[in-house]
Amino acid sequence: MPASDSAPSPDPSTVVPPAPSPTIEPPKLTGAELKKQKQAEKAARRAQTVIGKAVMPPPAAAAGPSSAGLRPEAANAARGQQRRANAVSSSSQQDIPTRSKKSGSPIEEPKEEDKTIEFFRHLTKTKAYPAGLKGANKDVHPAVQVLGLQMSNYMICGSSARLVATLQAFKKVIQSYTTPPGNTLTRHFTSHVLSPQIEFLASCRPLSISMGNAIRWLKLEISKVDIDVPDNEAKEGLCSAIDSFIQERVTLASQVIASSAAEKIRDGDVILTYAKSSVVERALVQAFEAGKKFSVIVIDSRPLYEGKHMAAALANLGMEVRYALISGLSHSIRRATKVFLGAHAMMSNGRLFSRVGTALVGMEANSYDKPVLVLCETIKFTEKVALDSILHNEIAPADELVIPDGPLENWRDVKGLQLCNLMYDVTPAEFLQMIISESGNVPPTSVPVLHRLGNESQA
Amino acid sequence: MPSLSTGYAPNLGVFLKSLKSQQLEASIENLISLLKRRQIKNSRPCAIATAHLLLRVVARFKWTDVGKLLERIQEVGQRLIQAQPREMVVGNIVRRVLGMIRDEAKEDRNEDASDSASNSQLSSPKRQSSDLGHLRNAGGPPTAFSPLRFDSKDVVQAMDSNSDDSFGSKSSANHRPPLITSHTSYAVTNNVPVQHSMFNLLSAMPSPLATPPGVSSPQGRSSVNMSSVAHRAAASSNDLKAEVISGIEEIIDELDQVDEQIASYAQEHIHSNETILTHSSSRSVQKFLLKAAEKRKFTVIVAESYPNDHEATHAAVAGKSKSSLDDSDDMDSDTFLKPLPKAGITVIQVTDAAIFAVMSRVNKVVLATHAVIANGGLIAAAGARGIAKAASFHKTPVIVVSGVYKLSPEYPFEFESLIEYGDPGSIISYHDGPLVDSVEVDNPVYDYVPPHLVDLYITNLGAHAPSYLYRIVEDHYKAEDTNFHNPEFQY
Repeated sequence: MPASDSAPSPDPSTVVPPAPSPTIEPPKLTGAELKKQKQAEKAARRAQTVIGKAVMPPPAAAAGPSSAGLRPEAANAARGQQRRANAVSSSSQQDIPTRSKKSGSPIEEPKEEDKTIEFFRHLTKTKAYPAGLKGANKDVHPAVQVLGLQMSNYMICGSSARLVATLQAFKKVIQSYTTPPGNTLTRHFTSHVLSPQIEFLASCRPLSISMGNAIRWLKLEISKVDIDVPDNEAKEGLCSAIDSFIQERVTLASQVIASSAAEKIRDGDVILTYAKSSVVERALVQAFEAGKKFSVIVIDSRPLYEGKHMAAALANLGMEVRYALISGLSHSIRRATKVFLGAHAMMSNGRLFSRVGTALVGMEANSYDKPVLVLCETIKFTEKVALDSILHNEIAPADELVIPDGPLENWRDVKGLQLCNLMYDVTPAEFLQMIISESGNVPPTSVPVLHRLGNESQA
Repeated sequence: MPSLSTGYAPNLGVFLKSLKSQQLEASIENLISLLKRRQIKNSRPCAIATAHLLLRVVARFKWTDVGKLLERIQEVGQRLIQAQPREMVVGNIVRRVLGMIRDEAKEDRNEDASDSASNSQLSSPKRQSSDLGHLRNAGGPPTAFSPLRFDSKDVVQAMDSNSDDSFGSKSSANHRPPLITSHTSYAVTNNVPVQHSMFNLLSAMPSPLATPPGVSSPQGRSSVNMSSVAHRAAASSNDLKAEVISGIEEIIDELDQVDEQIASYAQEHIHSNETILTHSSSRSVQKFLLKAAEKRKFTVIVAESYPNDHEATHAAVAGKSKSSLDDSDDMDSDTFLKPLPKAGITVIQVTDAAIFAVMSRVNKVVLATHAVIANGGLIAAAGARGIAKAASFHKTPVIVVSGVYKLSPEYPFEFESLIEYGDPGSIISYHDGPLVDSVEVDNPVYDYVPPHLVDLYITNLGAHAPSYLYRIVEDHYKAEDTNFHNPEFQY
């Protein structure tokens, strides 16, 4: 790691503009636009590598304040310069603070041993949230900053909620945007305004698959805006497109799924569900309101306890709810007649990517021959595939696992001890009987088909 | 309770100390209430407490005969088991002691018998008749049976039917003659002296050696022998008592050493650079891994088994914190183990939910157990079934580490009956007021793991396939003791 750092670190005060340029800045010529767009699409992935490279040992401490002090100057100088140069420096501008911010938080870390788990080392380590705001780029819209914080401390959690909140925030970003003179919305907005927002969100918590899908769609929409359309009109068009996207792909989709799933519930059923899924909750409520007599078992796990909210919400409606933790799963599953699972994403190979523990639920349900139904909007379908839960996952901050006053409190002092706070796991397709989506109920093998259909209609 | 223990939460250490100063009956009551209140819990402490208590019972026992001693131990055992039926080791230890007494008594009698057989021809017929008379009283066919008419087949058949009956109904354990209940299995264990004495017992024949030994069946043999023991036990009571006491002390020693013995196999089963997944906190597993760590470097993933055992699990990986010392349940405070990371093991603590996710990286699963049942299945901390199942899905071998003392001869068909449900307050605390009111909370403490999910058992006797466990059960317990705690129990 120090080897890669030696390049940018030697003289941060003077070399700032050129320093990031070899890594980020494409040739300034016409090809730049195209390339930037491509890069922006891969923003999340790039952010990871940037973090990897930017984790600076002690020199970063010096670099942090000096580059921060320099940043306004550089910006001012750039402002005085040509348009094209402005574009360049602002692209570098979005990067300098990101670096200083990122090098800020791990400053204490290098002194200690590496607490990351060997086989998860390829995954981004999400930072604790205070660092997120402190080092936030000036370009990041306040609404997005708020959202980033809410996501990083799980106030907004669950892939549908994050998707909707992100789109709403982006709507605000669009509304407050004015195209700089001599530029067009199509060319300027995505690369210079939207990308830093996305990068910031990704630094708060890795983007969910559905967010990635929606962002790709949004960029496509933006690129489709006619250059000749006046700013206001274009912005209005985009906002209403976002609205109808949310309406179609999330709100209505979950309604369709909920009523379709509610039909599957019969009197006397015992529905087992894991953690919290808004669409599962909706389906259960809908069935309950339709007068069906059934009870619900909510299985939950540490450290998020999402199921607790679900259990409380259902019990408040007067439903018969049992609650157990995942260690008691093998007992609860025997009582169940059907298993409803929410999804974070559906992989193209039919596997379900969802909250960690879902695979265990699927496995136990399968071993007791209980049908497993996955409730999943098509916006969560992805062309990615997954074989295990290790390659593609998210590691949450390990300290979330520590119980106050418990023996783990000083775990960082124990050499050789690592805490692993995994967010998702991959449920094999053979555990799933049916995927209920708004485009129909399909077996897991048909996920790629639905995904293709969805994309064709979009494109 | 002796005054020195006031102010401490009663636990195993306190109980063992109080054992010396207390009246026997008070000690029994004390242990019963400790078991009921779960102040002594988990297999090892329960086993140690039971063994020590039985030692006292034997030591204080006013000797009349072996039968009375067996009855007394059965009675104490029944009370302990009723106090906490799901701590199966309590029953196991009681059965071990019962079996050991039976063995000792038999050996004792065999020595006597062979002595008398060689020394005096005269004494033996007298004893025979009394023996056989006793046998008849005890339920043998009174008709057409004469001690003088040697017809071993008749006797054998009669005994067979008799023992079959008693096996079938066993209804009045308390009224039945204590020593006539023996069945097939255990007389086999030292058959040479038994056969020798057989001749003394049944022969009014001039030449005992003329009868081939194979004719007489073990059933008839053993019960006759035991009844003869009952009559003469008083004579050799002191020797026998000393032997029984030293036998119980041996069991206590075994409990002490069992973890080391198991650990001695560790290096045969763990190679370097492995990733091992384990679950909850167990001294046996911990010692097993520590022993392996002396020679090898490897990674251990520990699932925390929240909410019932997570404190101890966290303490095992991170060392003790002050708060967990306060409620240290069993012997932990005096037998403190080095936390795994200190031994050079890389330890990854994960939540129970992440088991399936990390299983693809695991190449061995080591499970601790609460109890092992004769079919090769086991009772372990909740979540164990999920681990074993996930391991079998990934074709990862599952090793169960368990002392033989956890091996129980009981084999209930309804495994739910072995599962204890714990305090729901540890899942949803009373801070969540509305939730407590409206939601039913399940907190099972144990899981049943069926034998087909286990690949290997490592006990202090070595490594065994699950299918072989029944054999070890037969070696350690007498069949007639299996259901001593509820004679009317019929499977």
